[in-house]
Amino acid sequence: MRATIFLTLLLLLSVSCTPRKQLTLAVVSGVEGDALKQAARDYESQTGTHINIAEFPYTNLFEKELIDLKARTGAYDLIMLDDPWFPRFASEQLLTDLTPMLQQRGQSGPDSDFVETSVALCRHPYQTGSLYALPYVGNSQLFFYRKDLFEKHSLKQPATWQDVLTAAKTIHEQENSGTKVYGYVMRAAQGNAAVADFMPIFWAFGGEMFDASGKPVLNSPEGIAALQFMLELGKYSPPGYASFNADDVGAHLLQGTAAMSINWPAWISSFADATKSKVVGKMEFTTLPSGQKPGQAEIGNWLIAIPRDSQNGGAAMDFLLWATSAEQMKRSAQRGNPPTRKSLFRDAELVAKNPAYPAQLRSLETSRPRPRTPYWNEIENAFGIFLSKANSGELPPAEAMNQANAEIEKILQRAQ
Amino acid sequence: MPKSRRFSSAPNRRELLLPVLFIAPAVAVLLSLSIYPLIYSVTISLQQQTSAGIRWSVANFVRLASDNFFLTAMVHTFVYAAAALTCEFLLGLGLALLLNKQLRGRGLFRASLLVPMMLPPVVVGVVWRLMLNPNFGAVNGILKQLGINTENLTWTASPRLAMLSVILVDVWQWTPFVFLVLLAGLQAIPQEPYEAALIDGSSRWQTFRHVTLPLLKPSILIVLLLRTMDLLRVFDQIFILTEGGPGFATETISLYIYRTAFRFFDFGYAAAMSFVLLALTNVISAIYIRFLEAKEAA
Repeated sequence: MRATIFLTLLLLLSVSCTPRKQLTLAVVSGVEGDALKQAARDYESQTGTHINIAEFPYTNLFEKELIDLKARTGAYDLIMLDDPWFPRFASEQLLTDLTPMLQQRGQSGPDSDFVETSVALCRHPYQTGSLYALPYVGNSQLFFYRKDLFEKHSLKQPATWQDVLTAAKTIHEQENSGTKVYGYVMRAAQGNAAVADFMPIFWAFGGEMFDASGKPVLNSPEGIAALQFMLELGKYSPPGYASFNADDVGAHLLQGTAAMSINWPAWISSFADATKSKVVGKMEFTTLPSGQKPGQAEIGNWLIAIPRDSQNGGAAMDFLLWATSAEQMKRSAQRGNPPTRKSLFRDAELVAKNPAYPAQLRSLETSRPRPRTPYWNEIENAFGIFLSKANSGELPPAEAMNQANAEIEKILQRAQ
Repeated sequence: MPKSRRFSSAPNRRELLLPVLFIAPAVAVLLSLSIYPLIYSVTISLQQQTSAGIRWSVANFVRLASDNFFLTAMVHTFVYAAAALTCEFLLGLGLALLLNKQLRGRGLFRASLLVPMMLPPVVVGVVWRLMLNPNFGAVNGILKQLGINTENLTWTASPRLAMLSVILVDVWQWTPFVFLVLLAGLQAIPQEPYEAALIDGSSRWQTFRHVTLPLLKPSILIVLLLRTMDLLRVFDQIFILTEGGPGFATETISLYIYRTAFRFFDFGYAAAMSFVLLALTNVISAIYIRFLEAKEAA
């Protein structure tokens, strides 16, 4: 009985005290989320707004956010989103439209310093619709290659996929004494890995996943040729690459046992770290090679959005604008995240520390998003399975593309 | 009120209240954690989200029949379960028979056999993924030392060897469990039937076939049942070792259910698949029990 009275009093007390302003932020664990966490701590000490951090590993973040937002709990005031998830959240109307809040603060839209391809991801429908998020981390794929080996075998900088194949073959054949160096290394594990490493080849060969009416057309002659080319490159990849994920590819590059790869900027800093890397100063970074079409990288940005059911929309918006301001994003860049602002990619201090920034900006500005659909997770899963099957030799390329196309057609039919 | 009322056959309200109070917490926990979710999952498996709202339908169950991924995953699950169960049972039985004898160092041997079982499946998955790595794993390293060409032995990355690899890992981890249960069963068998068999002049095989096996039947039934149920819902090791790959080569039904629920957010369809798996598990268990009981009666 006494305990009950005590608890009641405690409850009354906590309600009657006016609480400090509070925000709850869902972040991903890892370097991207860490930068935002540190920014939140800075914001706390500057403004007195208390920020709770809910941190989740990448694979759990999506399910956690989607379940909470659909249940309309209002538990989060700000959420980090990987850009392929955005169409799902936006199409289910789970996010706050940011434009009215920008207008209240005297801005007509996101400022023009943001890279256009990054802001386009934050709009629903893509590029043209309302603004539901702001871009925070500006990743896009880069082409990595071993400068020293290219010089040694007098190969030219890989500008086209044909150059890549020639170089892969040369290196594969000639770097056979001592440590074997594979010409190329890629990820072809089912799911995200295989799809991400295939898309730039697919696009360069003129492949498209959907036609203008939204019908899947993966198995076009261009699409099949692209997969055939991927298998051709696979001949110069380490055995077992059909189950490789990012860490396997990273290990080969750091150990100096592979000469080229498509990869993400997050790896760049580890090449300069002599404790992990046997290739310090030997790696060069450039934009993606061309085919019939100019090379395009896959974009992969982290966005920050405000859930529609957040009770603290105004305070959340203040934090969001602060965290994505040039000044704060520079700090995030110093903490290892590529920015989404053009001025920062050109910032002398940052470029001195990140020599790949000019290439990153070129890659980001010409990058392409994964197809904008709420069913992307399902589509990517199906596509990845067949890409992996083709790379492991289980299915011939044309058959793999036909089956992937049929499976994706089924997914879209069900969605209607 | 007379004291004898207490012992009358019709209890009064007060007397009823006490047992009800004692049972209530258990009932409440069961209702909220088991019964309600069960009913809820039945409901969502029978519902379909449409633009006009939610409506009742069996569409989720109809879809199962035309879903190649589901059917393939089912086949994988049964291949995996059958192969692993056979190996684990034969190895476990052999080891149990061997260690039921008086051998020197028996205690040490028994204890070391149990180590794999003590490890969490996730740890087993990670350890074996490293050991089976084609480029720097221990398995290929040893084979190379023995002069075997390992260039095409890519284990979890090869569509032909991936299933074998995941089965191997399960056999490694769970044979000790089968061994342990069967050994306990063997040690519970009294000496008398053996003495009788010896006097009757039966051969070792005859003794095993007609004395050991029938008396071991209850332990065999238990271990087969438990292992089958575990194998049909295997998740952790495969998720860590191959994530269902390469391609779809080791995707089992639990992995596919997980993906459908938490990657594609189709809880209704995932629930429908879970019920099919549950039904199949029940049927298989019933067959075991029937089969072993029938033999006993014969």
